[in-house]
Amino acid sequence: MEDYKFLFKIVLVGNAGVGKTCLVRRFTQGLFPPGQGATIGVDFMIKTVEVEGEKIKLQIWDTAGQERFRSITQSYYRSAHALILVYDISCQPTFDCLPDWLREIQEYANSKVLKILVGNKTDRDDREIPTQIGEEFAKQHDMYFLETSAKEAENVERLFYEIAAELIGQARSKDGSAAAAAAAAAHRQSEGSGVGSSIGLASLSAKAAQSNCCGGGVSNGSSTSQGHAG
Amino acid sequence: MNILDMINTLDINCSEDVDKTLQSIAEEEANIDARLDLVSKQQCQIEAKMSGIGRAMASLLTVDNDCNKLNMQIINTAQLAESVSAKVRRLDLARCRASECQQRVHDLIDLQLCSQGVVKAISEEDYEKGAGHVARFLAMDQQLLQRTADDVQGSITSVSDAVRTLEDATEKLRDLIAKRFDEAVKNDDLASVERFFKLFPLVGCHRIGVEKFSAYICLKLSAKAQKELRNTQDIAKAERRLQLAYADRLTAILENFARVVEVNQPIIEAFYGQESTSLIDMVTILQRECDTEVRNLLLEFNKNRQIQYRIKQVNESAQRSSTTGAGTTSIQSLGHYRKPSGGSMDKLNPKEIDAIIAEITVMHSRVELYYRFMRRRMQVNAETFVQEKEDQKKITDQYEKVIKNSDLSRQMQELLSTYLLFERYFMEESVLKAIGLDTFESGQQCSSIVDDVFFILRKSIRRSLTTQSINGTCAVINNVASCLDGDFMSALKAPLKSGYPSGYIDLAHAYNAIQTTLQQGKLHSSDADRGRANFLVQLNNADMSTEYIETLWQTMEQEIAGTFPNMSLVERQLLDSCLTELKTVRDTLKATVDFGMQQLRSSAIKPRLNPWVDQFLNYSHHLTEEELATYEAGETFVQFFIVQLDGLLNSFKTALSPRNYDALVSILATEVTTRLERAIKKTNFNRLGGLVLDQEVRALGAYLTGATSWSVRDKMTRLSQIATLLNLDKVSELAEYWNPENNSEMPSWRLTSNEVRTILTLRTDFRIEDIKRLQL
Repeated sequence: MEDYKFLFKIVLVGNAGVGKTCLVRRFTQGLFPPGQGATIGVDFMIKTVEVEGEKIKLQIWDTAGQERFRSITQSYYRSAHALILVYDISCQPTFDCLPDWLREIQEYANSKVLKILVGNKTDRDDREIPTQIGEEFAKQHDMYFLETSAKEAENVERLFYEIAAELIGQARSKDGSAAAAAAAAAHRQSEGSGVGSSIGLASLSAKAAQSNCCGGGVSNGSSTSQGHAG
Repeated sequence: MNILDMINTLDINCSEDVDKTLQSIAEEEANIDARLDLVSKQQCQIEAKMSGIGRAMASLLTVDNDCNKLNMQIINTAQLAESVSAKVRRLDLARCRASECQQRVHDLIDLQLCSQGVVKAISEEDYEKGAGHVARFLAMDQQLLQRTADDVQGSITSVSDAVRTLEDATEKLRDLIAKRFDEAVKNDDLASVERFFKLFPLVGCHRIGVEKFSAYICLKLSAKAQKELRNTQDIAKAERRLQLAYADRLTAILENFARVVEVNQPIIEAFYGQESTSLIDMVTILQRECDTEVRNLLLEFNKNRQIQYRIKQVNESAQRSSTTGAGTTSIQSLGHYRKPSGGSMDKLNPKEIDAIIAEITVMHSRVELYYRFMRRRMQVNAETFVQEKEDQKKITDQYEKVIKNSDLSRQMQELLSTYLLFERYFMEESVLKAIGLDTFESGQQCSSIVDDVFFILRKSIRRSLTTQSINGTCAVINNVASCLDGDFMSALKAPLKSGYPSGYIDLAHAYNAIQTTLQQGKLHSSDADRGRANFLVQLNNADMSTEYIETLWQTMEQEIAGTFPNMSLVERQLLDSCLTELKTVRDTLKATVDFGMQQLRSSAIKPRLNPWVDQFLNYSHHLTEEELATYEAGETFVQFFIVQLDGLLNSFKTALSPRNYDALVSILATEVTTRLERAIKKTNFNRLGGLVLDQEVRALGAYLTGATSWSVRDKMTRLSQIATLLNLDKVSELAEYWNPENNSEMPSWRLTSNEVRTILTLRTDFRIEDIKRLQL
């Protein structure tokens, strides 16, 4: 068994060509492969990071943006701890599709999943969506917000590290049993006292206010568990 | 030794010393004489040696002379050898040039012959011969030919004429062969097609040949496909495979393409072998035709199987359930849980799409098989005709690109998407149906829901494996997990959440009631009875489900390994990660079982148990010998208590699954011990009272241990330690127990020293001072 305390699943979604695969590649391998082909179905990468002295294993699911893979990618929403919704700041249509993505997330994902809005490709000169617009949209929908450039490696590390830190916070605030659930894979022999994988957003509002990158002041502070805590 | 030194060092004043010195001088003299003799004896030997050396000197001179001579000879030889090898080299060069020259002469002769022959061959329409000549011409080094023409001053015109003739002839032949090929195609003359197809590489038109031939094959296949597509239904009807009509058709199409490649690969390799990309060129062109044919087939399939309409139905029902389901699904009694067939009339029956789902999986797997076959072909082709590993990889990579960019792949992705949508719908609706039709048969601990639901889920995963798509399999496993976590979990949880109905009626009665009602097929017993039985059944169902999930993921792990033997590491991880989701669901189920057990504890155990334990207070533990005798003769507390407990446990024993029953006993034991401990603390004891208590605790412990396979001894430890304390003869006796020499006899103390003191004060005959004095 590997040595890590938490296991978090992060799923990237968003229109085709916004740079999901490049973000993941940049983060997991430090590469920016130009001419990346379209992802087929889902791709899967693992990176272990250390946050606050804890080893954390991040399972990153890079989904295909094209419509015909929707029924594959949807099936991964439910088990995600965090969903990264990506658009391309130089491509208005990718921003216009965000409400559709949110509808899908609403339908398939855990209602308490951590949502992050990411405007990618800040290295481009032909920006079409101002930072402020993205920020406001994120605020409206209780999401974190961050602009990144996979090409210039800008804010990519930060994106994933902030998610990891936030998820740890959530896991801790929900006492040991939730942590056990999050790390269920790490302790397969554990008695199974896990309480499901839902994680409250208790610390999000406070966190969002502090964090200068995240415009989302979140009203959804109540972190009622799913109601079967033994 | 020097004699003078010797003399100088002497003290001559003493005659003794002089004598001594004289003596030693004499000795020295004798020594020297002896040595002189020895030396003089050696003189003749030395002289003999000297003369020998003198002789040898003479012969050495000759040796030296000989050596010099030899040296000279060697140098000479080396020079000779060098000049010889230089000559050989020159000779070799000359030979090379000669052979080159010969080659040129040959070329020139051939050139002449070819230029003469080719015109003749063309005029005689002997294309093989003509193409042969051209091939020979093309094989010549054109630059060299030009130089030869320059070199041979006199006949320059004839050589360049020949070259020109051949160049013209090549052009002409190329045109002719292409034209003849086209004519053959037009006349559908397979023999001629093949004849001219083989000629293309001879006149240096590999690519054109491959393209033209592939186009011809495509034409043939397309005509065949169109004809067959029209007859799909009839053929299927004739073969009684209507359900799989389109899958069969697709199989036929793919088989045709595979066969064409298989048949023509040897021809291409034999005649086009030197051009390594020929096969992949052909396959690329064929793939385009394959894309078109499959597209036509899928259009027909979609139309005939009403795929779009059904997708719409599925999506609509999903929307309906998400809008209506969100608020109202929480608590509904069994059998009235979110009805599977909804209200609207045009709702899709999962059975209707069952066959279509099967057909889609077959279609998808056929395409995967087709790709696998082609990949192997390309691999073999690359390995036989390309030496460099890198170039081999280039070819296989090129084919992967063909696959990736092919319309066929795209269409299969869409088909897979449809499959997943249908499979999900089928699974969810069937599970809802199973939940709705949940029946409980007497004598069973679980109801039909567990078997039914897991049967459906296993069927779905198995079916996803037959698509041969890892992505599809993963998605279905994910959907299974969410289905278990969603509808199934809520169905189990609903009665557990509402709690175990408490009431006056004994559980045994309730259990019998539900049995009789089920036997009679009517439900006329009270709601509470039904609720109770239902609660227990769902508790067992949840327990059984945890086991089923484990079996499910284990068997699926094996079957997946069997289906995809060549998984890459990433694919492995992908699947493992999806399977892990099932484990998470199992953990949630276990938590649900725990939750149910807690419900049972608070409504079934605690309220019954407490009055029984409180009976303890009615029995005095301040006994005289006489009272003890009468007490033991009558019904003791523990006898009464065990009878009650036995009644309670027995009523659950048959109703609960073994694991749940063990958990119940464990909960019961905890409750009994804490409650009894509290009662004990409210009572006073004398020596005999303590004795009685100790007996009672032992009896209770024996009963509880016997009631289950689960170890409850541990839970009894605290209580039996209390009993031990109260059963002491004297306070001082405690020392033997508190710090026993032999630690293994007793488990370590669960009581703090303060608790021990408090408990000891319960004995009225123990003095407070003694207790206070205890060293603990």
